[in-house]
Amino acid sequence: MSLIKIVNLNKVYDANKISVHALKDINLEIGKGEFTAIIGPSGSGKTTLLNMIGGLDSPTSGKVFINDIDISRLKPDELINFRLQNIGFVFQSFNLIPVLTAKENVEFIMLLQGVSKEEREKRTIELLNAVGLVDKINARPYELSGGQQQRVAVARAIASRPSFVLADEPTANLDSVAAEGLLDIMEELNQKLGMTYIFATHDNKVVKKVRRVITLEDGKIKSDILQN
Amino acid sequence: MMLAKLAWKNIWRNKKRSLIIILSALFGIWGGIFSNGIFIGLWETTVEATINREFAHIQIHNPEFPDEKLINQFISNYDEVEKILQNNSLIKSFSKRTVIEGMASSPTSVAGVKIIAIEPDKEKTITSIHQKLIEGIYFSNRDYEILIGKKLADRLKLKLNSKVVLSFQGLDNNLVASAFRVVGIFKTESKIFDETNVFIKQNDLSSILDEGAPIHEFAIRVNSVELIDTATNILKSQLRDLKVESWKELVPELSLTSEFLYLELNIFMGIILFALLFGISNTMMMSVFERIREFGVLMAIGMKRIRLFILIILESIFLLFSGGLTGTLLGYFSIEILSKKGINLSIFEEGLSAYGLSAILYPTLPFHMYVSLFLMMMLTAIVASLSPAMKAIRLKPAEAIRTYI
Repeated sequence: MSLIKIVNLNKVYDANKISVHALKDINLEIGKGEFTAIIGPSGSGKTTLLNMIGGLDSPTSGKVFINDIDISRLKPDELINFRLQNIGFVFQSFNLIPVLTAKENVEFIMLLQGVSKEEREKRTIELLNAVGLVDKINARPYELSGGQQQRVAVARAIASRPSFVLADEPTANLDSVAAEGLLDIMEELNQKLGMTYIFATHDNKVVKKVRRVITLEDGKIKSDILQN
Repeated sequence: MMLAKLAWKNIWRNKKRSLIIILSALFGIWGGIFSNGIFIGLWETTVEATINREFAHIQIHNPEFPDEKLINQFISNYDEVEKILQNNSLIKSFSKRTVIEGMASSPTSVAGVKIIAIEPDKEKTITSIHQKLIEGIYFSNRDYEILIGKKLADRLKLKLNSKVVLSFQGLDNNLVASAFRVVGIFKTESKIFDETNVFIKQNDLSSILDEGAPIHEFAIRVNSVELIDTATNILKSQLRDLKVESWKELVPELSLTSEFLYLELNIFMGIILFALLFGISNTMMMSVFERIREFGVLMAIGMKRIRLFILIILESIFLLFSGGLTGTLLGYFSIEILSKKGINLSIFEEGLSAYGLSAILYPTLPFHMYVSLFLMMMLTAIVASLSPAMKAIRLKPAEAIRTYI
């Protein structure tokens, strides 16, 4: 059984009376535990596809199944709850809550889930330890480097114990050392915890790390390659 | 709790902007409360002075007396009334009065006055004339003594121990006149009262009139102001052939003004809060625009719209209440301190006394005004945040995440 199954997915944007066909007849399956990158030039539809998988945008036609649930049929609040329980997000610009500490940022999503205080504390320390930031638990985002902020974002993404993590250009704002460090952590979490990662990226460092590369061009899947 | 903590932290993101709103609320609410305290204090002092000077809490008359004030419109069964009053546990004290319209003459001038014949010891428990003496004493054991107001003393050129002749129509319609010696000169908050009222002893009047002093009025004080209406209603049911009126009925203009005063002061606070509403709404709107991406992220990771809505409302409430509650506390303590010490307005005494107002003002603000202020602040905070909150929850996460400001 696939974790993610996309069937005949199309997305058309109507902007200023001009239709832009961002995704064209996408059919795709991603299994549990995969470490996958979606690549392609700017405007190829990477982020649009990620948004469809993440339930952040709705398809013009076609279906997106996650754990056999057609998320395109969920109501807005059901979709938010579905994302909370099933999907972790890592964004290009880290997007931590600036007024909260690293610990509070990681805890926040568990608070939304209603996880008990003891469990939150335990998981937060474990995750910050896993991303190498246990000594920065009380640091605010502005006190952390870009790489450190993104590692907190990764900890936040998996704190809710999602089915998979969507990472949109996670290394774009990092220097190469920080990017390598981040990818190592994500790879380790993928291998240790079996966490599924789907990246949308331009970055060759990401492409070298992942085991599957899906290339998009003009809204279509151009290639889908497994690599060692 | 989580939302409250986050909301509190959020209002301090832009300290300068938030402080402007908080200080506006602080000074606006403080000023509003303090000025309301002064207005209410001024008014309550006036009402209190009127009650203490003249009316007491309740009065009983012959039904015709209040309109015509004729000497023969007296209470014939006053001994029955006395018994009823003595047996009423709500009543603290009462005094019988004879009230006659007459003339006061001195060697130099003459003036129309209201002659109030009282039982001096009992009257002390009802009104405060004995405390308003600026010269002389509050009667002695000698006969034919009179207390007059400062204004009347000046007009008739009378001093202590001067003789003044009171003349009035007796019960037999003949003119009655008698000389009295001034033993005390009083000065109340009201110049008009001081110019038109004189006090004599009921025993003296009885010895002037063959029929004895008729009783026109019972002035009554109850155990506490909250009991005035209850006591009035009980007495009305017991004394159906007499006119029983509380001070609110005796001086309806004072009572009505009191009711309107609270309404006006609530409107005044409402105007202050209405002005603050725009400031808060503008601040919240700016704050939302600056955080569009963050709201997109929050919704993306699983924060429900209702929680986002509540978050923004809480931020608005915290913003207003940080200043508003501090302003309320400052207002409360300012009023508390000055309600004991008083504000001395003696430089305006001349003008104030023309309206029966005291020169020492004791600000006060009843608890229900604080409650209505709290509710108005809450309403203002919520209304101010509605538009920004609606803006936030209408955001589409995918678009909001890609917004850069």
